Amino acid sequence: MILPALFFYLFAGICVASAVMVIASRNPVHSVLFLILAFVNASGLFVLLGAEFLAMILVVVYVGAVAVLFLFVIMMLDVDFAELRQGFLEYLPVGLLIGAVFLAELLLVAGGWAINPALVKTAVAPIPADITNTEALGLVLYTRYIHYFQISGIVLLVAMIGAIVLTLRHKPSVKRQDINVQNARTKAMAMEVRKVAVGQGLQDPPSREAAE
Amino acid sequence: MSFQAAGYSLTPALPELVLTVSAMVLLMLGAFRGEKITGLVTALAVAMLVVTGLVVLWLPAGKLTTFGGSFIVDDFARFLKVLALTGSAVALILSRGFLEEPSRRIFEYAILIMLSTVGMMILISAADLITLYLGLELMSLALYVVASSHRDDAKSTEAGLKYFVLGALSSGMLLYGASLIYGFTGTVSFAGIAAAAKEPTTGLVFGLVFLLAGLCFKISAVPFHMWTPDVYEGAPTPVTAFFASAPKVAALAVFTRVALTAFPGITSQWQQIVVFVAIASMVLGSFAAIGQKNIKRLMAYSSIGHMGFALVGLAAGTQEGAQGVLVYIAIYVAMTLGTFSVILAMKRNGQPVETISDFAGLSRTNPLLAFFLAMLLFSLAGIPPLAGFFAKFYVFLAAIKAGLFTLAVIGVVASVIGAFYYLTIIKVMYFDEPKGAVDPVRTELRTVLAVAGGFNMLFFIYPAPLITAATAAAKSLF
Amino acid sequence: MIIGLGHYLSVAAILFTLGILGIFLNRKNVIVILMSIELILLAVNINLVAFSSFLNDIVGQVFALLVLTVAAAEAAIGLAVLVVYFRNRGSIAVEDINLMKG
Repeated sequence: MILPALFFYLFAGICVASAVMVIASRNPVHSVLFLILAFVNASGLFVLLGAEFLAMILVVVYVGAVAVLFLFVIMMLDVDFAELRQGFLEYLPVGLLIGAVFLAELLLVAGGWAINPALVKTAVAPIPADITNTEALGLVLYTRYIHYFQISGIVLLVAMIGAIVLTLRHKPSVKRQDINVQNARTKAMAMEVRKVAVGQGLQDPPSREAAE
Repeated sequence: MSFQAAGYSLTPALPELVLTVSAMVLLMLGAFRGEKITGLVTALAVAMLVVTGLVVLWLPAGKLTTFGGSFIVDDFARFLKVLALTGSAVALILSRGFLEEPSRRIFEYAILIMLSTVGMMILISAADLITLYLGLELMSLALYVVASSHRDDAKSTEAGLKYFVLGALSSGMLLYGASLIYGFTGTVSFAGIAAAAKEPTTGLVFGLVFLLAGLCFKISAVPFHMWTPDVYEGAPTPVTAFFASAPKVAALAVFTRVALTAFPGITSQWQQIVVFVAIASMVLGSFAAIGQKNIKRLMAYSSIGHMGFALVGLAAGTQEGAQGVLVYIAIYVAMTLGTFSVILAMKRNGQPVETISDFAGLSRTNPLLAFFLAMLLFSLAGIPPLAGFFAKFYVFLAAIKAGLFTLAVIGVVASVIGAFYYLTIIKVMYFDEPKGAVDPVRTELRTVLAVAGGFNMLFFIYPAPLITAATAAAKSLF
Repeated sequence: MIIGLGHYLSVAAILFTLGILGIFLNRKNVIVILMSIELILLAVNINLVAFSSFLNDIVGQVFALLVLTVAAAEAAIGLAVLVVYFRNRGSIAVEDINLMKG
C-alpha cells in the first residue's frame, strides 16, 4: 500500500510546486510551461483516483489545446517582457498573510472531511465495477446526462462565434485564394500565342485583367 | 433503464429548443449573406424572442420536469422566462441604432444575445448544480463578448476584459462551492440537497458561502459589485441596457430558487448572508451614486442599490418575500429599459452624450423626453404612486412580516438617500440652462419609452395582472 | 500511509488559494491572471473527481468533464478579449487597465 501513497505525494507535491511557479514566475512563457506541468501531475492524481478518462482528457485538452493557445497568444502579443518583470509581486507580504489565513480555513474544512457512508449506498449513478471508466462515463453521458452534453455544445458554439467576432478582421487589401475562379480558368484565358515581328518587340501587351 | 422512467420529454424544454435552433438558422443566414443583412437578422431575432415567449406561455400548465428532474418548468420559471425574453427583445430593439453604423454592423450581436438568453432560460429552469453552472456560463460567455463587441474602442474592450476576469473568478468560486456541496450531500439536484442538508455543518456552510458569492457577483451585489460601474460605463450603451435587464432577472431567479428550494433546511444560515448583502448593496448604491458625473455609472450604482432592495424580499425567506422579489424585478426591468432608452436618445450632432450636465435644460429643448425621464427617475426613487413605489412596498412588507425590522428600516432610509441623486438629475433637466437641442429621437426608442413610461405611470390603476402572476409564481416554489 | 479524501481536498484547497492569490497579487500581466483562473478550475476538478471516487458516484466525473469543456471555451473567449484589448492599448499590464475610475 506504500506505492499509491508515494505516487500521491509525488504528483501532489509537483502539482502544488508548479502551481506556485505559475503565479511567481516572471516570464509568462515559463508560467505556461509550469501550468502544463501542474496539469500533467493533476492528471496523475486523477489516475490514482480511478478516473482514467478524465486524466487523458486533461492532458489532451489542456496540454494539447489550452496551453498551446496561451503560448500562441503570448507570442502573438509581442509584449515587452523586460518591462513586465519590474516591481513584480509588490503586494507579496500582505497577500501571503491573507492567503495563509484563507488556506488554513479551507484545510480545516478539507482535512476533517468524512464522507457520510449512507450516501455511498444511495449514489444516483454508482460507478460500475466491471467496465472501464471510459465506458462507464459514456454510458451515462449520452443517455441520462444528454442535456448537459448538448448545452456544453452550445457553450462551445458561443465561444467560437465570440472568438471570431472579436478577432477576425477582413482586410480589403489581402488577396484571398478563390478555388472556383482557379478551377474555372481555361487554357484560352491563361495564355496567348503571338507572332512577334523581328526587330519590333511585343506591341500593346494584353493586361492580365483584360485576359480574365 | 431507469432514466426513461424519470422522464426525458422534450416538451418542457421546447422554448429553449426553439430559440437555439432559430439562433443557429439566423447564424447560417448571416454567415452566407454577410453583414449587409444585420438589420434583418436583428429583426428576426426579436421576432423569435417574442415567439419563444409565446411558446413559454403555451406550455401545459402546472409543474413540468424533464431530463431526470434536472430541468423544471413551474409558474416561477414561466414568469421569469417571459420577463427575461422581454428584456432581451427590448434590448435588441434598442440596439438597432447602434448596429446601423457601418463599422459596427455585426450580425453576430443578435445571435449572441439570443444564445445568452437561452443560457438565462436554462438558468431559470435549473434544478441541479450542473444545469445551473452550464446555464450561467452560456449566459456569461456571450455577455463577455457583447461587452467588448465595440472592438475598436479602448473603453469597450477594457470593460470586456474586466468583466471577463472578474466573471471567470466568480464562476470559479461558484464551482468550488458547488463541488463542496456535492461532496457533502452526494447529489447535485436541488431536491436531493434539500433532503440531505438538514442542519448546518462546516463543509456545507463553506460550500453555500462560495456558491452565494458567485451568484452575488452575477447580480452585482456588494461586496462583489466592483466590476459594475466600469462595465456599465465602458460597454456600448445598448449593451449596458441589456446587462441591466435580462441577465439580472436570470441571476436573481437562480439565487431565489437555490436559496428557497435547495437550502430550506438551513434558512438561518443563508438568511444572514442575504441580509448583509442586501444592506451593503442598498447603502453603497445610495451613497456612491451621489458624486457620479456619468449617467451610465450612475445607473450602475442605481442597479447595485436596486438589487439590494430586491434581496430584501429574499431575506424574508417567505412566500410573500419571493412574490416581492418577482414584482420588484419585473418593475425594475421596465424602469431601467425606459431610462436607457432616454440615455440612448441623448445625442447631439449624431454623437452620444452621457454626462449628467448634458441633460441641462432638457425640459425646454425636448419637454416630452424630459417628462418621461423625470417620471422614470421618480419611479426608480420609489415615489408614489409610480410603479417603483409598489415594488419597494411589497419587499418591505414581506421583510416586516418576517420580523426583519432593522433591514426594512435601513432599506427605507437608503431609498430616501437614493432619491437625492435621482432628484438631482430632475433638477438639472428642469432648472438649468439648456445646452442646445438634442437630435430627433428614433422611432423605436420613442416606442420603448412610451410603453415603459406608460407602464410606470399607470401601474397603480390596474396592478392586478402582475401581482396575480407573481403570487402564483412565488407559490410554485413552496 | 492511507491516502484519504482529506489529502485530495487539501491539494485542491492549496491550488484554489494559489489561484486566488495569483489573481490578486499579480499587478503586471493579465495572461497570468487567466492562468490563475485555470488553476482555480483545476482545483475544482480535483475536488469533484475525489468526491466522485469516494462517493462511488459517477456524477462528479461527468461534472468535471463539463467543467473542463467550459473552461476551454472560457480560455478561448478570455484570450480573444485580451487580444482585442492589446490591439487597442498596446499593453497587457494590469496597472494600465485604468481608463475608467470612480
